[in-house]
Amino acid sequence: MASVAELRAAVEAALQQVTEGQQAIQAAREKIGEAQQSLAAALDGSASDAVGAAHASLSQAEQQLEDSFTATLAAVEQAHNYTASL
Amino acid sequence: MSLLQELGAQLRATADGLPTGEMAVAMNKLRSAVELLRWVQEESSQDIGVARLGHAVEHTETATAALRACEDAIDRYLTVLGLAATPGAAPGQEWRTAMRREEDRPRPEKQPDDAPATPEALGPWWQQRVARLTGEAPSSERAGKTGEQGDTSELLRRIAAGVRAGDRARLGRELHAVNASTGLGLSAVTPTVLHRLAGDLLGHDPRPEDVPRLRTAAEGRVKALLPGTEPHVLETLLDRICRVPVQQQQQKRGDQPPGHPADTAVTASVLTGVLLARLGRDAGTLDPSTPEPVRPRPEQAEESR
Repeated sequence: MASVAELRAAVEAALQQVTEGQQAIQAAREKIGEAQQSLAAALDGSASDAVGAAHASLSQAEQQLEDSFTATLAAVEQAHNYTASL
Repeated sequence: MSLLQELGAQLRATADGLPTGEMAVAMNKLRSAVELLRWVQEESSQDIGVARLGHAVEHTETATAALRACEDAIDRYLTVLGLAATPGAAPGQEWRTAMRREEDRPRPEKQPDDAPATPEALGPWWQQRVARLTGEAPSSERAGKTGEQGDTSELLRRIAAGVRAGDRARLGRELHAVNASTGLGLSAVTPTVLHRLAGDLLGHDPRPEDVPRLRTAAEGRVKALLPGTEPHVLETLLDRICRVPVQQQQQKRGDQPPGHPADTAVTASVLTGVLLARLGRDAGTLDPSTPEPVRPRPEQAEESR
């Protein structure tokens, strides 16, 4: 049976990992934004399917990262509630 | 350079600038957090956000797949333009982002004054777990104390150096010197590095059928350095490196509960050192600024032992 100290330390460490994960997500979103601008500037007016697919993929990645970030916020709140109850 | 070549170079630069490294870091950090919270949930029988964090991992995985699709689309377009040979960055460099030092990463916002107690105030349970795994007690100065907060990627390099030297006492000292948060962080830093090293050792991307070969290469040395580790901890790590489907992993594990998070973190770090040693590389090659090592053919790498 784990001690309260062990449980609390594991949750704290998990929250630290989530914080760093959130930072990586935000950094990725910034880079995706830059890639979207770069693609738009280079391929403005192109009717190629591949170009359309590249744009769509970037938009999907951006949206998924936003959803991921939102999910982490909810998880962090729940974990904080747990540690407060220990 | 023609306008077309210039366009090709621009597109290749865009593809190379896609945040695959950041995504790998995010994925490993979140997976590590899920693992820690799942262990807490099993110990405490309370819902503490595992499912929500699991959703975050799934979204990140989908985003990663979308980035790959974008890379493929750019490649297809370059092929249509007759520029498929435009040189790009070497593949498989995500580990470098994971191994960047803390000071090179964006700093988190300062914690408010009423932030919850830090792990340092929670007793030396990490040190007790390290002693059990390594068989090395903390030094008399460290006995009964918690370790220091540190840079996890730097810790991994120091551990790898100790493993390379076959020095269990040094390994114990390095692990005893840090606190739980820094030590548990090894679980998030190691996956991309392990995948890469295993790939270099095998000569191809690790596959499920490569588990026995990696086990043979690593098991004895891991056990010698970590006499207290359970065999299933290493087995789970090898399954993950080789991308064994989760369902198969669960079948292998049966009813066995997941390992203690500290066991997974420490064993992963030692396995990193063992694979480096198998490749004949020193811990300095884990520095993200080092150039790509020259890769011997896998059979040469194994013969050199």
